[in-house]
Amino acid sequence: MLASTLRKSLIGGLVGLALGSGAAPAQDFVPENPECIAPANPGGGWDFTCRQVGRTLQDLGLISATMQVVNMAGGSGGTAFAYVVNERNDDDDLIIAASSATATRLAQGAFPGNTMDQVRWLASVGADYGVIAVAADSPIQTLPDFFEQMATAPETIAIGGGSAVGGWDHLKVLIAAQAYGIDDVRAVRYVAFEGGGEAVTQLLAGSLQGFSGDLSEVRGFIESGDVRVLAVLAPERLAGDFADLPTAREQGIDAIGANWRGFYAPGDMSDEAYDAWVEMITELYASDEWQEVMVTNGLAPLDLQGADFEAFVAESIARIEALSREIGIIQ
Amino acid sequence: MDMFSNLYDGFAIAITWQNLLLALVGCFLGTIIGALPGLGPSNGVAILIPLAFSLGLGPTPAMILLTSVYYGAMYGGRISSILLNIPGDEPAMMTCLDGYPMARKGLAGEALSLSGIASFVGAFLATWGLIFLAPQLVQFALLFGPAEYFALFALAFATLGGVSSTNQAKSAFAAMLGLGLAMIGVDQQTGTPRLTFGDVHLYDGIDFLVAIVGLFALSEVFIFLEHRHGKADADDTAVKVGRLTPSWATLKTCTPSILRSSCLGFLAGVLPGAGASLGSFISYTVEKRLVDRDGTFGTGDPRGVAAPEAGNNAAAGGALVPMLALGVPGSGTTAVLLAVLLSLNITPGPLLFNHNPDVVWGLIAALFIANFVLLALNIPLVGLFTRVLMVPPRILMPFVAMVSFVGIYGISGSAFDLQMMVGFGILGWVLRKLDVPLVPIILGTLLGNMMENNLRRAISISNGDWWVLIQSPLAIGLWIVAIVGFVLPIFVGRLVKARMRSRAPASEWAADEAPADRP
Amino acid sequence: MSDRIFGAVGVLLAVFYGWAALQTEESFLSDIVGPKAFPLIIASILGLSSLIIFAFPDAKPKWPSLPRLVELFAAVVVLMLYAEFLDEAGFVFATALAATYLSWRLGSPPVQAVIAGVAIAVSIYVVFHLVLGLSLARGPFGF
Repeated sequence: MLASTLRKSLIGGLVGLALGSGAAPAQDFVPENPECIAPANPGGGWDFTCRQVGRTLQDLGLISATMQVVNMAGGSGGTAFAYVVNERNDDDDLIIAASSATATRLAQGAFPGNTMDQVRWLASVGADYGVIAVAADSPIQTLPDFFEQMATAPETIAIGGGSAVGGWDHLKVLIAAQAYGIDDVRAVRYVAFEGGGEAVTQLLAGSLQGFSGDLSEVRGFIESGDVRVLAVLAPERLAGDFADLPTAREQGIDAIGANWRGFYAPGDMSDEAYDAWVEMITELYASDEWQEVMVTNGLAPLDLQGADFEAFVAESIARIEALSREIGIIQ
Repeated sequence: MDMFSNLYDGFAIAITWQNLLLALVGCFLGTIIGALPGLGPSNGVAILIPLAFSLGLGPTPAMILLTSVYYGAMYGGRISSILLNIPGDEPAMMTCLDGYPMARKGLAGEALSLSGIASFVGAFLATWGLIFLAPQLVQFALLFGPAEYFALFALAFATLGGVSSTNQAKSAFAAMLGLGLAMIGVDQQTGTPRLTFGDVHLYDGIDFLVAIVGLFALSEVFIFLEHRHGKADADDTAVKVGRLTPSWATLKTCTPSILRSSCLGFLAGVLPGAGASLGSFISYTVEKRLVDRDGTFGTGDPRGVAAPEAGNNAAAGGALVPMLALGVPGSGTTAVLLAVLLSLNITPGPLLFNHNPDVVWGLIAALFIANFVLLALNIPLVGLFTRVLMVPPRILMPFVAMVSFVGIYGISGSAFDLQMMVGFGILGWVLRKLDVPLVPIILGTLLGNMMENNLRRAISISNGDWWVLIQSPLAIGLWIVAIVGFVLPIFVGRLVKARMRSRAPASEWAADEAPADRP
Repeated sequence: MSDRIFGAVGVLLAVFYGWAALQTEESFLSDIVGPKAFPLIIASILGLSSLIIFAFPDAKPKWPSLPRLVELFAAVVVLMLYAEFLDEAGFVFATALAATYLSWRLGSPPVQAVIAGVAIAVSIYVVFHLVLGLSLARGPFGF
């Protein structure tokens, strides 16, 4: 028993045995060694998606074995994407965490040679709204103040986030800045970090004056009072603990940045396996346990599966592509 | 005091027969994982995570098992460094420099037990540091912005020269080679591939494990092949093991080094990203500067074994501070531990100490337990470890080579990595022949990306003003130390050596002089 | 002489590295420093230290005789083949072969070398696969 449960180590790009899953039963597919690749270091949004979903699936009894979570950082998800397409393309036990960040990189052609139809898109599990935050001791109180200072004295504000330059965390600030009326994208000085956690640390250390990320990344720091959220990039105020966070819209800046969270699967995954995974995540989403996870983590509802989700991702990519072109990130 | 009652509660949670058994198993497996080249603390912990889950362990027992593995691997790395001149994991790299010469002198047993004691003291002090200073240490970590990190890494490279006992041009060459290798892969700032020549295998960069195992372990195998004589190993095997415990005199000379190194290593560990390798490295270089008056470092000085071991184990404890208090992993291993905490539904961060005191104090109690178990396990086992030296090289070296391959293959599953490892083996052999130190190469591959990213962040934040690198007092201080560390050995080294030569009879010095600094 | 050649090779390496770094495609929205600057700094220090090595060579190292070099070359070839065919041949089989070869070349008599090779392969399989649960190459026989 030991040997079989230990078969896979967590780190890095383990391949090996998982390829031998061709003999899956024709119906009622059950993943034998369910595995989730989080294309980033532990602690970020993708990692959270994999772990929470894996855990809840097991708690609900939808999978029998523990979901192995593999962290594969690199190229803002590009490393994992290329790895899945090239080496795990017919693996039925594998799902990969994805988000708006994945769509962003795909839209900008930043995964060289990869497109969205090389993989199968499974389902969403919620959306995480973007936040723009400052340290608690910052003199800046509102989002308009923040952009006012950025427009008049761009050299005084450096804003950090967990994605690379041109990535989703960067794009969110650009969207909001544009909505405020800053047209020169170079006025927004964005600094890339390896993860949201590191960027928040540097915000507290005073190296940065602003932080752009997802609500789930700053949750602990909001509670401890170290960080002040200037705006949530949501259409309206969130429910629960986060109800007193102001939106950008109510401050007169019409910017929405929803980071959807979901999964894709290898392109040659069998139809039985694909349907089974879609079914599992649908059931997960409907469960009380998951609704609770969403509330405690500030995830907003986004309920899309299978073909609907595929269409949603396609649209999302098209929109980001248009936006990136407009802002000038891609020619 | 409040703290002690918390700690008492922690022990109350941690001390059960099941947990003690887990600690024992974890420490034992960790020691072995640490000693095997290619498997280090981070993959050791990762390998055993499924075990923790499949046994259905709760948060506290799971953390006890995994931190035991973590500390165990930190202890274990030294064994192969001392016995085989092959670091079992990257922080044990510095232990090779004096540990292996000690073993060659017939002091293998003493080197092993001394380093075990040094490891214990380092880890023990670090755990107390974690208890008393965690909040203040967070403030310390916050002093380090990108510019300060860059200065810190520059300091590590500037002080390289004296360490590796050859001329500084070759040290610099090696460091740049390592940094250059680190640049290969997708650029973390902009996402564009660099120096990959279009090869997908290189997009993720070169894993430093591939480099370290190839450079150290395989090149060692090649050296044995080169020196094989007709009657095999008749002349090489008769290695004496010597006494199994260090003498009081040795312990006494090493104590100041151990204490200093524990503090330094701990501080290095607290800085996210710097980690245990930097801790052992800085400990060794500082001790060499401070106490190496006779130029014995690098030739089997016990202090050169005690310092890096105390340093890297203290750093292992220090690395838990940013992980617990900020949710930012300070090293590869704490990244994995962080992942475990998250999957147990515990979110490290500023409020962890308030929200989950049972987990934090249980963890701290677990660290103490693991540390004592390891001391109890390691000292009596020294005799067993040294048996490795009895195995003739014609059996041992094929074993080492194959373990190296398995370590890499088991983690990455990639034949490409294995080919690359053989390439590094050849490179290591050639560089050893040319007297180019290997340590700076590994340091370069380990720190290269962080060094570059922090430079670029600093310049981005300052809007293109390079002077930002020397604007804070801390950064200036680090640069001064770096410059002094770089320049001083060139002048002082010559002076000291000249004075030594005039004091001691020439014949005695002929042997020891070779490895000392040369400008 | 060795160091002169080494220094010269180092300079060539530095030039090549610098050239390769300049080939990096820069995107429109890069950070201020960009992805090329740091590699170029590395290339220049690499070149500089190589020049110093070239100008002030150390004493000549002891290179092995030709037969020893052939020996090393053969070992490299065996290890490369091992890496290449590990996936097809399966871990235990390939490892036993490679370990036998190394043990033989390090001075074991042939029969002892075979025993050593098999023992090494099996013991590594037990520790790494059965105890630690790492996935090793499976090969046609499943091990």
